[in-house]
Amino acid sequence: MKKFTATAAILLATGLAGTAQADKLDDIIGSGTLRCAVVLDFPPMGMRDENNEPVGFDVDYCNDLAAALGVDAEIVETPFPERIPALMSGRVDVGVASTSDTLERAKTVGFSIPYFAFEMAVTANDSTGISSFEGMKGFTVGAVAGTYEAIALEAQVDAWGEGSFRPYQTQADVFLALSQGQLDATVSTSTVAQANVKTGNFGEISVVGTAPFDIDYVGLFAKRDEYGLLNYLDLFVNQQNRTGRYAELYEKWIGGDLPDLTVSGSYR
Amino acid sequence: MFDYTFQWKQAMARLPQMLDGAVVTMEVAVLSMVLGIAMAVVLTLLRLSGSRPLAAISTTWVEIARNTPALFQIYMAHFGVASFGIHFSPFVSLLIGITFNNAGYLTENFRGALKAIPDTQARAGRSLGMSQISAFRYIILPQMLRISFLPMTNQMVWAILMTSLGVTVGMSMDLYGVTQALNALTFRTFELFAIAAVIFYLITKAITLSARLIAARLFRY
Repeated sequence: MKKFTATAAILLATGLAGTAQADKLDDIIGSGTLRCAVVLDFPPMGMRDENNEPVGFDVDYCNDLAAALGVDAEIVETPFPERIPALMSGRVDVGVASTSDTLERAKTVGFSIPYFAFEMAVTANDSTGISSFEGMKGFTVGAVAGTYEAIALEAQVDAWGEGSFRPYQTQADVFLALSQGQLDATVSTSTVAQANVKTGNFGEISVVGTAPFDIDYVGLFAKRDEYGLLNYLDLFVNQQNRTGRYAELYEKWIGGDLPDLTVSGSYR
Repeated sequence: MFDYTFQWKQAMARLPQMLDGAVVTMEVAVLSMVLGIAMAVVLTLLRLSGSRPLAAISTTWVEIARNTPALFQIYMAHFGVASFGIHFSPFVSLLIGITFNNAGYLTENFRGALKAIPDTQARAGRSLGMSQISAFRYIILPQMLRISFLPMTNQMVWAILMTSLGVTVGMSMDLYGVTQALNALTFRTFELFAIAAVIFYLITKAITLSARLIAARLFRY
């Protein structure tokens, strides 16, 4: 019994020492798999194709990152609210989930430099006659709970002092509510708006303009204290741009002019 | 694997917002119970009416309420009926969904309670010259409510917990909705949900304890 306890203690000690030395980056390379949290309810960044396979910009981006690391990619479908539990419980190594790099969130997780930038578009139900951002005043509007645009839109509704705001859980619910007339208009990233209008699944709705919100920069995220990994992510994002891979993926999934990932007059 | 630095101060700063949410949660739960009990009484009467179509309405309601997920019932109250052009706000949709569920379960409780009351009670009332309605109202109903009082408490607790499903229909003012919104804003998931869990626990505990006290007072022989 004594011998068993001693052996167990030694095993435990070496085990602990082992994890203490290697950082997350080493763990990923060692394990041979990179697990990415990707939101698959956010076309064209993340969605499923006819064969129910995950596809989209974020999916490709994760695959590229895994290829750079020399490991296999594993796409872990993660709804927006579950990104943090997925990361903190060790279910994923890194988030490639179109996550806005707000300062509030950066207190909890570590962000890479921006890997994508969204403009915000207004989509309205045709029967409402809304034709611009200002036109939404007084109407019932909504967006996906907790997103960058939802926070900005709710503040705008408060500022207007009329109309109401409703947060739904998924982008699909927002567009369903919009097509049913439960919502008169929504603000979403322009890519999502275009993708959803194009499917034709949502009836009489149209993109009617842009919303004057700041550009929404999104970063990859990992645990706040994993400097090795975060440093790698920064360089990876930079390399994707220099090699032209970013432009290639942008053309594949979105098309049109590339958004600028840099902010003039700032270092990062 | 789970390594996370808890920042309680940051999360506790949001406590007032969460308590406001808890008030809305209570509002929905209490309203849905009051409406649910009223409807359950009607549904129980329909079932006893002896009329087949009326009893069928009651049976169908109970079957759907008890055998489908509460989430589905709330979702249908919002997105389902909207495809027929009927629109309810998130608050009302949540209220309808929970009330529907409450009424279904309570009807079954009431039926069980009625079975526990001997038929002779109603007949005794009739033989004293009471009408069928007064016999039900003054003799059967009080006994029925008494037997089903504690199961009703159970349903009240369930109603409170069901409010958390409101997020699927765009409800953001209740405790769970507020917590979700704060989570998206700050990413301090575990602290916020731990606080929400404690608030839920305290509310439901307070209800069960006060129900026990009320029962002890009301139902003394």
